[in-house]
Amino acid sequence: MGKLEGKVAVITGGSSGLALESAKRFVEEGAYVFITGRRQDALDEAVKLIGRNVTGVRGDAANLDDLDHLFDTIKREKGKIDILFASAGKGEPAVLGEITEQHFDREFGLIVRGTLFTAQKALPLISDGGSIILTGSVASVKGFPGFGVYAASKAALRSFARTWLNELKGRKIRVNILSPGQVDTPDSQRLDKATREMFESLIPRGKMGRPEEIAAAALFLASDDSSYVNGMDLAVDGGFSAI
Amino acid sequence: MGKLEGKVAVITGGSSGMALASAKLFVEEGAYVFITGRRQEQLDDAVKAIGRNITGVRGDAANLDDLDRLFDTVKREQGKIDILFASAGKGEPLPLGQITEEHFDAAFDLNVRGTLFTIQKALPLFSDGGSIIMTGSNASAKGFPGFAVYAASKLALRSFARTWVNELKGRHIRVNLLVPGAVSSPMQEEVLTKEAREFFESLIPRGKMGQPDEIATVALFLASDDASYVNGVELFVDGGMTAV
Repeated sequence: MGKLEGKVAVITGGSSGLALESAKRFVEEGAYVFITGRRQDALDEAVKLIGRNVTGVRGDAANLDDLDHLFDTIKREKGKIDILFASAGKGEPAVLGEITEQHFDREFGLIVRGTLFTAQKALPLISDGGSIILTGSVASVKGFPGFGVYAASKAALRSFARTWLNELKGRKIRVNILSPGQVDTPDSQRLDKATREMFESLIPRGKMGRPEEIAAAALFLASDDSSYVNGMDLAVDGGFSAI
Repeated sequence: MGKLEGKVAVITGGSSGMALASAKLFVEEGAYVFITGRRQEQLDDAVKAIGRNITGVRGDAANLDDLDRLFDTVKREQGKIDILFASAGKGEPLPLGQITEEHFDAAFDLNVRGTLFTIQKALPLFSDGGSIIMTGSNASAKGFPGFAVYAASKLALRSFARTWVNELKGRHIRVNLLVPGAVSSPMQEEVLTKEAREFFESLIPRGKMGQPDEIATVALFLASDDASYVNGVELFVDGGMTAV
């Protein structure tokens, strides 16, 4: 018997990397999963890879019309949400002095505004006792040069979690942050060799995380195994931010 | 197939409450578990309740001779340790002004000194890739009146975790802190008055204390490979009390 038997999960940005791996794991554990992504071809591939109990809904998590379309689809097909894993987000570097309005607006538009409206629009469908997982970043506590805007946008989510767990406590909905560190994903494989080595030198085990290791932590936060865990910012970074 | 198949775990203070619930779950998931406790009778009851793949070793985690005897037994019987859950700990409330040397020494001897030597003495038996879990307290983050000494002793463990993550990285041993909040365990029930219990429950978003089983599932997560990329964290299991 899987840990998510009978549950309906929504994972935004679920067509690649950590979120895709989490979608796979959630389905293995018995959930029906909706994933979203901006590119239809990537989404189709992800759906094919997972193979069963999954629906792909094309959309941009920063676009409120796309979000309406997503939740309309879920309402029609499943009628409820037990787990929302708001994972859509992307970090582009820009150092202070070179930050443009476009950079700021893009990062905060997707990560802060997009996550807020994803959660707010999901709310009427979320079951009492459900679990909301927001994706943070260890960048918020490390101060990597060039990631000021990205890190701050993720820190804003940490604050949302505190407020929402109070606002949603009557419905016993838990809100936690999963903060991945360096993970081997298609995105991180684009890092140049020197940057990759710099990051790995900061991880106690000297090796980046694997997407499956993030998926296992997401499953923990999604399932009843974490029923008394609420408002946590769970770093999954191999100890990178602890030292 | 259980999550801890073939693993050997040691849980100090494992004869009651959260640690006992964890021992039970670890055995269900395939581990062989050693538990310790100071009172033989309670330890025997715990061993009987779990029923299989368990050894009880009487001892006080603050007493270094007892710790030697524990690890001698583990070495003889199983020859290795994969998971160490250093859970023995205790804190009596006393406000500043009334703190005695005995009060300070009792808390730091068991919670800090005892935990340090438990881990140091376990180390030669530890498998590469093992998992160390220490028990913190959300009192360290909340400043509950009367719990200064207890809270400070538990925060010292948070610091140990950071240092040991680094010192043990060559052996791929992970070190994490499990930080319970208010839980319906025999130890907390004993310390808390009805008023204190109501006060704590008013601070928990769901309004209800945790159950020992809800701590055990988190201990299992940290003990197992599900947490293979989780290291040096302080995982609060307090229903959100500290977060808000």
